[in-house]
Amino acid sequence: MIEAAGLGMRYPTGRLALDNASLSIGPGELVVVLGHNGSGKSTLLRCVAGMLRPTTGVVRVAGQEISRLAGRSLGEARLALGMIFQHAHLVRRRSVIANVLCGTLGRHRNFGSAIGQLPRQETPLAHDCLDAVGLRRFAAQRAGTLSGGQAQRVAIARALAQRPRALLADEPVASLDPEAAEEIMRLLRRLASEEGLAVMCVLHQPALAQRYADRILGLRHGRTMFLEAASAVSSADIAALYEDVTA
Amino acid sequence: MNEVRPIALERVAPPLDPQPGRTGHALGFIGVFAFLVLLGQAALVVHARPQDLVTGAAGMADFLSRAFPPDFSKLREVAWPALETVDIALFGTTAGVLLALPLAILAARNTTPARPLYAGARGLIALCRAVPDLVWALLFVTAVGLGPFPGALAISVHSVGMLGRLFAEVIEDMDMGPVEAVAMSGASRAAVFSHAVVPSVLPSLLGITLYRLDENIRSSLVLGFVGAGGIGFQLLTAMNLFQYRTVSLLLVVTFVIVIAAERLSAWLRRRVG
Repeated sequence: MIEAAGLGMRYPTGRLALDNASLSIGPGELVVVLGHNGSGKSTLLRCVAGMLRPTTGVVRVAGQEISRLAGRSLGEARLALGMIFQHAHLVRRRSVIANVLCGTLGRHRNFGSAIGQLPRQETPLAHDCLDAVGLRRFAAQRAGTLSGGQAQRVAIARALAQRPRALLADEPVASLDPEAAEEIMRLLRRLASEEGLAVMCVLHQPALAQRYADRILGLRHGRTMFLEAASAVSSADIAALYEDVTA
Repeated sequence: MNEVRPIALERVAPPLDPQPGRTGHALGFIGVFAFLVLLGQAALVVHARPQDLVTGAAGMADFLSRAFPPDFSKLREVAWPALETVDIALFGTTAGVLLALPLAILAARNTTPARPLYAGARGLIALCRAVPDLVWALLFVTAVGLGPFPGALAISVHSVGMLGRLFAEVIEDMDMGPVEAVAMSGASRAAVFSHAVVPSVLPSLLGITLYRLDENIRSSLVLGFVGAGGIGFQLLTAMNLFQYRTVSLLLVVTFVIVIAAERLSAWLRRRVG
């Protein structure tokens, strides 16, 4: 589903953010990326999402080489990728259902959507997506009134409304309390296992990674330290990932 | 048992509100002196003569006695210029919003498609704002003749300057998170704009527009002095013809319009906020 091979990313400042990273995530698999701040986790995720063009290497999503696409063809390729951010990034003044319907706009690139009409024919799907995250009864509520955990679940429903084949989550629990964080991770785990989505999730919580991930990718200064089954990653591996990062 | 001794905070950190030293006093004195010098030169330049207020009191009393009571029999004649005044502001503000919005999109760093367009839009907005609406009215009276239309044009051009800048600032300050999220769903640029940018900034834009409409009603009252229609034109004519009771009626109508517009604008702003 997601294949990244030999990814390298050097910023215009000369800093090497990612060095020869390779990764493949199949359907139904949840891979967590761990690493210290500036280790290249988000850079890797943004390269996979087509938000950054890598200096070297290729990214394929559902067979399409996303790292070489631009403009409309990139927009169409992104339909296969649902993205979840650290903050829910909902339009706070709109209803929950309107926010979820925004996830379907990529399939409705027409005049109506360009002038602000929501694709109402997708409403049943949007309700199904809210069902999947357990928030159907909040459909008519204003997004700005939700708690952090609820807002993040709506963001996941918005990503699901795209009918993606993979989910990319960039620190989705960083701004949530421990209970809401567990809830989001359980949801991502279920979407991988039951819906067959390939899930790539950047985290800062090794404990959550070990509980919910199939495999863990450890990054340090842009280099891959390990890519192993979660059960095979030891505390020493984790400690080595974070120790003395200024070195 | 050991005695707990309080920590001497004053030894650790200096007082939060230190007394000004000699340098502070001297700077304060120089500042006050410089301001008094500036005020003095301003009084000289404007020929400020407070005694004229005393000697002119008789003239003012004479004006008030001639102006009272307002000539309400002319209320029907005044109704049309009053409507003209409100309509100049309404038309001018609406046209101003329609022109300012696309310019603001070009003039906001986060939505402009190209740097030269940003610079061009910012320049145009600054030009519209730098020239006062009264001067724009003079120019348009020369171009299209006397009447309310040049007034409406003047209001719209000046509004482009004021609204364009404020709209651009609102767009620049908006949270780009929802924009990024909707863009990632594969939506077109236009859809991202209408579904993520517009709903996020609309309440602020509406509030600014209503405030501008309120300001423009006030501005359109004086545009008549240069021949651009409305109550201002009637006021000037009545003054020139020494019809002071008509002048006082026009002032009462002006007061009612300004207060009503202010109240309505404030109420609507609270509703959309």
